[in-house]
Amino acid sequence: MNVFFALGWYFKLQWRKYATAITLFVLVDLLEMSLPLITGLIIDSVVSRTLTTQSLVGYGVLIVGIAIAVYILRFLWRITLFSASFYLAELMRQRLYHHLTRMAPGFFQKYRTGDLMARATNDISAVEMAAGEGVLSAIDGLMTSIFVLTIMTFIIDWKLTLIALLPFPIMAWFFKTIGSRLHNSFRDAQERFSELNDRVQESIAGIRMIKSFGREKAEDVAFLEIADRAAEANMSVAKTDSLYDPAIFLTVGTSYFLCVSAGGYMVYTGDLTLGMLTSFTMYLGYLIWPMFAYGWLMNIAERGGAAWNRISQLLEVSSPVPDTGTVTGVTSPDISIAIDRFQYPDTDAVALYDIDLRVPAGQTLGVVGHTGSGKSTLLHLLMRHYDGPETQIAISGVKLQDYQLSALRDAMAIVPQDAFLFTATIAENIAMGCPDAEIADIRRAADIADIDADIMSFRDSYETLVGERGVTLSGGQKQRIAIARALLLDAPILILDDALSAVDVGTEQRILRHLRDARKGKTTVIVSHRLTAVEHADQILVLHQGHQSETGKHRALINADGWYKRLYEYQTLERAVESGK
Amino acid sequence: MNQENEVPKKLNFQVLMRLLAYTRAYPKLLLQGGVLLLLSTFAEVSAPILVKTFLDDYVMPGYFPTSDLALLAGLYIVLHLLSALTGYMKSMRFNRVAFSIVRTIRAQVFATVTRKSLDYFDHRPTGSLVSRITNDTEAIKELFVQVLPVFIQNIVLIIGIFIAMAYLDWRLMLVCLFFLPTVTGVMVLYQRLSTPRFHRARSVLSRINASLNESIQGMKIIQLMNQQKRFNQDFTGTSMDHYAARMANVRMDGMLLRPMVDLLKILTLGGLLMYFGWSSLNGVVEIGVMYAFINYLTRVTEPVVEMTQRLSLLQQAIVAGDRVFTILDDGVETIEKPRASLSHGEIFFDHVSFSYDGKKDVLSNIHHRIRPGQFHAVVGHTGSGKSTLMSLLLRFYAPRRGNVMIDNTPVQYIEANSLRKGVGIVQQDPFIFAGSVRENICLGDDYSQAQIEAAAKQANIHDFITTLPEGYDTWMSERGANLSTGQRQLLTLARTLVHEPKVLILDEATANIDSETEAVIQKALNALRGKITIFAIAHRLSTIQDADEIVVLHQGQIVQKGDHRSLMADEGLYRHMYELQQRSDDFDALEVSAT
Repeated sequence: MNVFFALGWYFKLQWRKYATAITLFVLVDLLEMSLPLITGLIIDSVVSRTLTTQSLVGYGVLIVGIAIAVYILRFLWRITLFSASFYLAELMRQRLYHHLTRMAPGFFQKYRTGDLMARATNDISAVEMAAGEGVLSAIDGLMTSIFVLTIMTFIIDWKLTLIALLPFPIMAWFFKTIGSRLHNSFRDAQERFSELNDRVQESIAGIRMIKSFGREKAEDVAFLEIADRAAEANMSVAKTDSLYDPAIFLTVGTSYFLCVSAGGYMVYTGDLTLGMLTSFTMYLGYLIWPMFAYGWLMNIAERGGAAWNRISQLLEVSSPVPDTGTVTGVTSPDISIAIDRFQYPDTDAVALYDIDLRVPAGQTLGVVGHTGSGKSTLLHLLMRHYDGPETQIAISGVKLQDYQLSALRDAMAIVPQDAFLFTATIAENIAMGCPDAEIADIRRAADIADIDADIMSFRDSYETLVGERGVTLSGGQKQRIAIARALLLDAPILILDDALSAVDVGTEQRILRHLRDARKGKTTVIVSHRLTAVEHADQILVLHQGHQSETGKHRALINADGWYKRLYEYQTLERAVESGK
Repeated sequence: MNQENEVPKKLNFQVLMRLLAYTRAYPKLLLQGGVLLLLSTFAEVSAPILVKTFLDDYVMPGYFPTSDLALLAGLYIVLHLLSALTGYMKSMRFNRVAFSIVRTIRAQVFATVTRKSLDYFDHRPTGSLVSRITNDTEAIKELFVQVLPVFIQNIVLIIGIFIAMAYLDWRLMLVCLFFLPTVTGVMVLYQRLSTPRFHRARSVLSRINASLNESIQGMKIIQLMNQQKRFNQDFTGTSMDHYAARMANVRMDGMLLRPMVDLLKILTLGGLLMYFGWSSLNGVVEIGVMYAFINYLTRVTEPVVEMTQRLSLLQQAIVAGDRVFTILDDGVETIEKPRASLSHGEIFFDHVSFSYDGKKDVLSNIHHRIRPGQFHAVVGHTGSGKSTLMSLLLRFYAPRRGNVMIDNTPVQYIEANSLRKGVGIVQQDPFIFAGSVRENICLGDDYSQAQIEAAAKQANIHDFITTLPEGYDTWMSERGANLSTGQRQLLTLARTLVHEPKVLILDEATANIDSETEAVIQKALNALRGKITIFAIAHRLSTIQDADEIVVLHQGQIVQKGDHRSLMADEGLYRHMYELQQRSDDFDALEVSAT
């Protein structure tokens, strides 16, 4: 039931809608509850022969009037109540989305896409149910029971009420026991289905092995075993589920039996009229819905509460990097990096230490090192994905922390390792950062990235749809589009995070040459596994196990006869082998 | 992916009929279920008639003979119990049929999919295939569990109620008859109007989820490009679209679904009461009949609503059925009429060329012979076509030009069982499952202990197994955690050797092997040469140094051939590859040592 308290803010926000909906329920209930009474009155007037054509017509009109009124009111409350709960769902979706846009990349490492999607879909639905159907079952169920019981007891006959209601506690008990058994068997069935899924997944993923070993029949047998278990679990659920109908039928039937027997006797003794007995029987029917509603309500409330907690937890996560800076622009793109030591949050291992270098404006810095040497960490710090107490990075003499985050982002254009393309046209993807860019500028950026020719060779050229529902591009093509995207921003600092790994050396050199021509006066940082990408850099930083091991220009590093030189020779040999020599 | 959301406007009756045809296999159960259903309905529908009798014949006249009443009461109770019991038994029968049918369909689809040719899998993401076999069959299950029984039961119930009504008073029954066609008409109208709205809401939801998913994955870029505001606005727009679509649904439901059905019910009630009142003004009427009719009326609305609500499940089941039948109808991999079986194990690639997409050749003019018992190896950089050679040998694909022959017969013409048994493959990261050593070697096939031990000895692992606590019956944990990597590799070698292949393919997928495994494989290969034809696809040149002949591939073509010594003497690709691997080892050692 906590979910209703948790949603208090929303009920307050939409109090008008909820108040209207509740009033409408009450009206509908009152009107509907009058029907059995009217029926009873008609029957009694027939029995006592007091019916006149006039009164009959009167009753007729009344009934038609009630029918139409109830129809309209029902339509109205549905619109009112569900507009409120649907709106809540959208509101939560929008809040969630907004929150996500403010989270740093570290957040998305911790919360996987699948998990986030589940919260955004299933959990929001569950909360919406609580705010809509939940409120409905709670209040309508309550109102109905109160009205019906009041009428049965006070207007008709309390003794009869008591007698007829005897089986109802038993029905409630049935609901509870069947319900919990169902819950368990349902969970079992879900698990078996999961198993089935996993098994099929494994078989299909391992289809080569199945074929090469000729294991088709064996796989069939194993699959059938699991399919059989799933069928059994389903039978279990069905067995329990099929108990509901008979259970209700029997208890309601007993209730009717008692009602008719006792009622019939009371009619005979004159304590009750036949009309009232008929009304009573009709009212008895109205009591069944609240019983269902109650069980359903428990279910909705429980799920809604759990879902709400999961969503709130997500919304409460704060960004690891506070945006408290005030500086809004970068004057000169020179970078100074001084890292005494840096550890990722919640880890003990030191990721970077003893790094000290300056990159004057307009120069190119190359960063190389073996896997795990700290290249990506260095970039994370430069992009301010994390802050470190013993790290000091400044651009144009101003600490990163003193810049507004948006200003920092405007100052740096980054081509990340995995070139992610959105489901949109190539032009839209390149213009991601500048949605209003002209096609001429887009093409210029694409040309520098050496992808313009490729794009023009596609049938729809720049209007080609890419991404999940579009054309699949090669790794190299995606990277070049990502480079064009960053270039279009024309930011003072350009960072390439292993962004040329999927293109061949020839294309790589061409792109780098274009970059050098196009970006005079601007700073560039190139991180790469391939040394050819940094050969022409003004400064090369060699990272080893998190610290600065060699620095200098290419020539100097070759002469230094260290790790850099050995790797360079290795990569040259590798290239020879790759080209078949 | 779009396919998942498209639902045709009309019901595909052909698919429905085909799905229903599966019930033909269970005539007894269906007959029993049918009989039980009729009994249950009869009992349920007769109860109000008893009440009518009670009221009209005993209460109204004020006449209470205990024996008659006891009989009446007893009958009432018996009918109720009968209805509940037969109802339950009927449900069980129908459910059993439903689950058996689903199991049959699942088995069929699974067996068909696993026997399709390999290129079927190349163009279909695993996820969508799994979905067909699991989720789609689940939707079909709903047809048999939720839709069919509900429709049958409710239709029988409604017919039963009207028969009972007619028995009591056919004129009053006619008054109620107004209700039935009207409500059916409304339901049909509802279905027609609500389906497009329903699908619109679902497709907007799809869009929201796709957009959310993509944004989560590309959030880094969105933030780097400072585009949060724009994306937020777009998302809000789509979200409000969704709201509008759902409200359209609710309005439709509010107008035509339950409220409308209730309206009709109340009007019918009014009609009944009017007729009743009017007849009473002109003559005598039986109150009990009125009572019974009111009772019946309350029972007739719910079944109608239930059926309408099941219609969307029906549609989904049909769409799923269509997809499943497409898979079944497309059939399995057909293999040419097999003529021969494998005997010596001589491999001959006769000017073989192959391409996956029909445009770019992955293998060009491969011409090479391996005599029985020889140990040949194929090496090359990533993308040179090495694994494709193996796929062709295993008959996963057919060459575009040329022939892959074993014992002078193209593999297309070798009988399937003979090929699977005759060509054994040892993969690098093998799957050891939770089972005994014996089970892991036999993989479910029948082999004698002698055969198993012979294979283990050939693989150089028999001695080790005998040192295990329960020998061949020792339980292996999943992924073989209680063995070293080298031992795992030998175990899978035994697994392949147990079916006495004439050809052994060693598939070395990556260059990441520890030296123990490398040594172990080398030793085993050396022991096997001369007895089996060995074809090793190697990444690590050191593993195959002892091969009789090494074929060097580059971009699908053979560029060098010879044994290790002669290839090293040439200043060519092989020698450079060898040097490269040496240096790579040096680098790895350097990193490790600097820690």
